[in-house]
Amino acid sequence: MTSELPDRYGLTELVVMVVDPFHLFAYWEVTPESLRQALDSLGAEMDGARAVIRMYDVSLIHFDGTNAHHTFDIDIGLEARGWYVPVWTAEKSYCADLGFVARTGRFHAITRSNVIHTPRAGASHLTEERWLRVRFVRRRKPDPARPLEFVPAPLVMGRLSPEELRALRERLAQEGALAAARFSAGTLPTSPEKGPR
Amino acid sequence: MTTQPVGYLCLVLHCHLPFVRHPEHESFLEENWLYEAITDTYVPLLRVMNGLVRDGVDFRLTATLSPPLISMLCDPLLVSRYERHVNRMIELASKEVDRTRHQPEFQRLATMYLERFIQTRHVFAQEYGRDLVAAFAHLQDQGKLEIITCGATHGFLPLLNVAPGTVRAQLRAAVAHYEETFGRPPHGIWLPECGYYPGLDEVLRDAGLQFFFTESHGLLYAEPRPRYGVHAPVFCPTGVAAFARDLESSKQVWSAEEGYPGDPAYRDYYRDVGWDLDYNYIQPYIHVDGERINTGVKYYRITGKTEHKQVYDRAWALERAADHASNFMFNRERQVEWLSPAMDRPPIVVAPYDAELFGHWWYEGPEWLDYLFRKLHYDQQVVKPITPAEYLERHEINQVCTPCGSSWGHKGYHEVWLNGGNDWIYRHLHAAARRMEELAQRFPRAEGLTRRALTQAGRELLLAQSSDWAFIMKTGTMVEYAVKRTRDHLARFTRLYEQILSRRVDAGFLKDLEEKDSLFPNLDYRHFS
Repeated sequence: MTSELPDRYGLTELVVMVVDPFHLFAYWEVTPESLRQALDSLGAEMDGARAVIRMYDVSLIHFDGTNAHHTFDIDIGLEARGWYVPVWTAEKSYCADLGFVARTGRFHAITRSNVIHTPRAGASHLTEERWLRVRFVRRRKPDPARPLEFVPAPLVMGRLSPEELRALRERLAQEGALAAARFSAGTLPTSPEKGPR
Repeated sequence: MTTQPVGYLCLVLHCHLPFVRHPEHESFLEENWLYEAITDTYVPLLRVMNGLVRDGVDFRLTATLSPPLISMLCDPLLVSRYERHVNRMIELASKEVDRTRHQPEFQRLATMYLERFIQTRHVFAQEYGRDLVAAFAHLQDQGKLEIITCGATHGFLPLLNVAPGTVRAQLRAAVAHYEETFGRPPHGIWLPECGYYPGLDEVLRDAGLQFFFTESHGLLYAEPRPRYGVHAPVFCPTGVAAFARDLESSKQVWSAEEGYPGDPAYRDYYRDVGWDLDYNYIQPYIHVDGERINTGVKYYRITGKTEHKQVYDRAWALERAADHASNFMFNRERQVEWLSPAMDRPPIVVAPYDAELFGHWWYEGPEWLDYLFRKLHYDQQVVKPITPAEYLERHEINQVCTPCGSSWGHKGYHEVWLNGGNDWIYRHLHAAARRMEELAQRFPRAEGLTRRALTQAGRELLLAQSSDWAFIMKTGTMVEYAVKRTRDHLARFTRLYEQILSRRVDAGFLKDLEEKDSLFPNLDYRHFS
């Protein structure tokens, strides 16, 4: 017999998770108490109000509730308790409010989510290099507080002219990008017979 | 002084199975995952490695032994059930030798299976003393094999990170378990499902881990863009090294269509006497409920994309494995020769695979590996096998980059473990993780029954977190079992949580769980605080 899980945990929360650079998943729980507070606060405005997730782009800022780069609402069914949210740009930070938007446009937030960071979807344009020397330690744990020693970038003492080297590197980068694009279509083989690969 | 090769090859085998142990049942279908992997993969790999050592072939291999796998390989109940399993295989193969007495091409194969199963039993019990973990450790002591750790129960860390304390616990418990098993800390880790997110390296550093692996785009999309792509590791800002998978070499082995394992000469996995033979005859060797399953006795080769399969020819298959090993080596030589002029050090080609591909899915995989290491040793000087630890000792200076969040699942991010088929688990997993953190903080110095209950709560939480369950829910087979395991561990956790808080631990219930979910006997519940 399969065990029953709690239907609710008795808390009001909104949690946002990253699916990939362009998709998020949000789940929530709202206690009857929190819901009542929201309804009381909206009062007569509750008539025709929509339940939404209000998304905030909070990339590289300390978010104070008003300074998001960009805000948009996703209409949800409050009883769904989970929702997929598409986003348009990779490598951003988001947080969200769960709440109601009244017909007047007034927004009443029930709860605010965690902050998440979406990953890159392509190669970085930054090529500025820093290099470290780190001594590898065998058979014991290195001290987590050990100082890290920055060193000059190594030179390639090759047989190639700078132009040839640049051309080769460019080709490598292109290959890498192509290969990654091919990979992201997926190659992890899955077994039709059983779970573990 | 040894000459520096043109490039390095870092072969990594990820050995992991979820913890499946059901003492409450006399026989349990999903326990076969372990038994099949022992016969098909772990024993053959150990024999290949020990053969190389015996013949003086210098080789290097890196392998994960995940904590659940170590726990199962060391578990007396599962070990004795494995012996029962292999005895049954021997019995089936003997009957097959007799049944095929008028079909020489089948009888040859039946005899091969019989001999292999008998040999496997002998090697398992006599040579390795029923302790495969010790056999792996011995190879590590000889400097040929680098054993790395994994998440404690293979939790997919990017999605557990909503409760960061639980990510720390997955790593602390894994490292502690490795130290107990091997008497020293692990040098590196295979992140479950290659799942990385920026900042995870801080947790790795704090756990004493010095390197990890990412999927290719983990480095190709790193910031800044790494000078050498995937062909040299980078240091994260914390000084923890990240190695990334090379696509070209992976694909040659991985890909079901273009890869070596799809060759027509190789043994076909799907045609099995468990399905092909008369029901009454095969019934003792299939599922106790009477459901037909794969037995491991298979007579056909892949042949082609056709229903009509031809009989397996072992000698021909081994010839193909040798050809494929030559081809792989040739391609690596050309690859590193092409890469090296653009680099200040020999390029490294990182080729990680799920270990169970070798032997279980790709029957000739262990022999391919054997030929490959022998050829690398005797036939050339261009590519040298290496472990990440050796590389980092030789090349202490590496570029600093932040790898990109990534995984090795379909589409490269988190979708395999977070989609419409499994998203329901996370509200429970996160709630339980926060509750465990709360318990560990409220009871910092628990003793006696409370301490045992806290420890068991930690085990149940870790078991619920295995990425295997979400993966199975996504792939759509054995879903019921994965759902049941997730729900059972979460429910057991919840019950313990409530009992601990109300200070009414049910000793009988606790003892039952300790016997069932018995991994990590020395788990420290304070890992969760």
